[in-house]
Amino acid sequence: MARKTRDVLSVEWVRLELLRTAYATRGGLLARMDPRMVLLWYVLLAAAPWLTHNVTVLIGLFVLGAASVVASRVGPLVLGLFVFGLTTDIIALFAASFFFGGDWNTLAALAVLNLKIGVMSMASMAAFISLDPEKLSDALLALRAPELLAFGVSYGYRMLPILVDEYITVLEGMRLRSAAPASRGLLGWRTVLHWSVMSVTAFYPIMLNTAKNVRTTVEALETRGFTYAAHNPKGRTLRLAHLKVRGFDVAVVLTTLALVVLAFAIGVEYPLYRIG
Amino acid sequence: MSTPAPAPDRPADQDAQQRRGTLRGAIDGVRTMELTTSQKLMVFVLSMSLFGLSNILLEIIPEPSIGPVEFSISNMIFIPLAVAALFSPLWAALGAPLGEIVFTDLLMGDFSGLAEVEGYLQMFLAIYIGGSMVRNPSNKVQIAIGAISIILIDKVLSAIVDLSKVWIGVEEAEYVEGLPQSILAVEAVGLGMDVLISGILFGAIPAIWLIPRLYGRIEPLMGMRPRVPGEPIPGDAPKGPLFVGFALFLSAASFGFAFLEAFDLSAGAWEPDFLGRFGDSFLWLSVAAILLVLGVTVLLFKLAQKRSSHDDAR
Repeated sequence: MARKTRDVLSVEWVRLELLRTAYATRGGLLARMDPRMVLLWYVLLAAAPWLTHNVTVLIGLFVLGAASVVASRVGPLVLGLFVFGLTTDIIALFAASFFFGGDWNTLAALAVLNLKIGVMSMASMAAFISLDPEKLSDALLALRAPELLAFGVSYGYRMLPILVDEYITVLEGMRLRSAAPASRGLLGWRTVLHWSVMSVTAFYPIMLNTAKNVRTTVEALETRGFTYAAHNPKGRTLRLAHLKVRGFDVAVVLTTLALVVLAFAIGVEYPLYRIG
Repeated sequence: MSTPAPAPDRPADQDAQQRRGTLRGAIDGVRTMELTTSQKLMVFVLSMSLFGLSNILLEIIPEPSIGPVEFSISNMIFIPLAVAALFSPLWAALGAPLGEIVFTDLLMGDFSGLAEVEGYLQMFLAIYIGGSMVRNPSNKVQIAIGAISIILIDKVLSAIVDLSKVWIGVEEAEYVEGLPQSILAVEAVGLGMDVLISGILFGAIPAIWLIPRLYGRIEPLMGMRPRVPGEPIPGDAPKGPLFVGFALFLSAASFGFAFLEAFDLSAGAWEPDFLGRFGDSFLWLSVAAILLVLGVTVLLFKLAQKRSSHDDAR
């Protein structure tokens, strides 16, 4: 059987793209801002759609969200997943309600909700892709989020590529050492079973490895007084001293606010409460 | 630290292992089941990163669906169950849903803002309760019950939220035909598929294989001793009215977010004249309610923090 190589959608590509998402901000607009202001910007844009039912306003906000996604240079994988998710969501809900005797009304009603969710997802894409893990965890700490949350964010983003690498190494090793099923079976169920068993059993060595790594990390952290430093107000100020809000940040947030207000103003002028 | 009082004598017919566990839990000042700060952090981080990894994998796997029924694995629940059963249910349950949010939702732009709180709480409750059911890490029946109950609790809670959204939202908008029945049917079939696929095939069976295998091997790597069956659950939740109040308020808030969405569906899309009658004030009212709940939550959190730092100082 000839092997097909897919350049675009391989696990390796997904992994690299994720790495790029987590670390290399592509230098967009929001990446240059203070992380606290980016979070404020996010809250502004994510809350706005829930304050109205006016479709005109929502379309305006959707355009604003799309513009911010372009401005912060979101990568193709994340964008593709978003578009794919939104379309399948609409299709699935529509199919379900159509199947049980609904009509176009149902779709129109759901379109409004999907528009709102779309605005919110685009805002979160733009914001969280522009923030690297260090910045995000500093911002969370500055806003007095629990220390465990801030730590979890920065640790998670750092460890993710290593963990995925390790897992793929183990899985490839198991594949090399085991024979593929002789026949594929009905609908390829033997192959599916083979892969499922491998992907689950691969977690055994991964869990042992991760336990060891976690102990090393945590003990190194605790030797440097991680938990106590996080509780200590002096340590906190020292760690967050580099955060500064500049004129640029204020300008971006104010511009967004003005655009949101503009969208609402247009909505008052040309109200549209339902589609179709 | 004072040694707890020795356990009272148990009847002779009690399981011998059970008794040994009770005694060992309080054997001396060094080997109590109190987790140290760094051990709690270790369990938290382990559960978070492993569950996050499994979620990334599930993100890549395609999800075939026939009509509205999806044949998808929603979670690899055996991972947090293993951490909960071998170490501590509370810290495993705190970590795992955070891993899901940090690794997949934030990275993939799938972040649904404050509604994530609802998902976090459901998962936390499910893993905490399911993990607490496994008292003996080599008992296969307990492991299977734990795995299935995690999926059941998580999915039933989210189904209740979904259904009540429809019930409250669509009751006055009956002219949209087919939606309530369709959502009810989809939820019921979805629950069955989830229990079968995520609960049994990718939950109970791997857990039965994995947990006894890791038992006794993974603990030394983390610098702990294996749990002895029957001893008290390590690192249990601080039992205080404050903790209970905090949890209750958080769940109230999460329902608030869910219902804001539901209200939106019903009033916004299907009944434009409803808005004309009451104006936008109704919407502002629910926003105000959420803000109030959030404020109280923050206050409670501050109180709890103050108390815990007071405890640390002692």
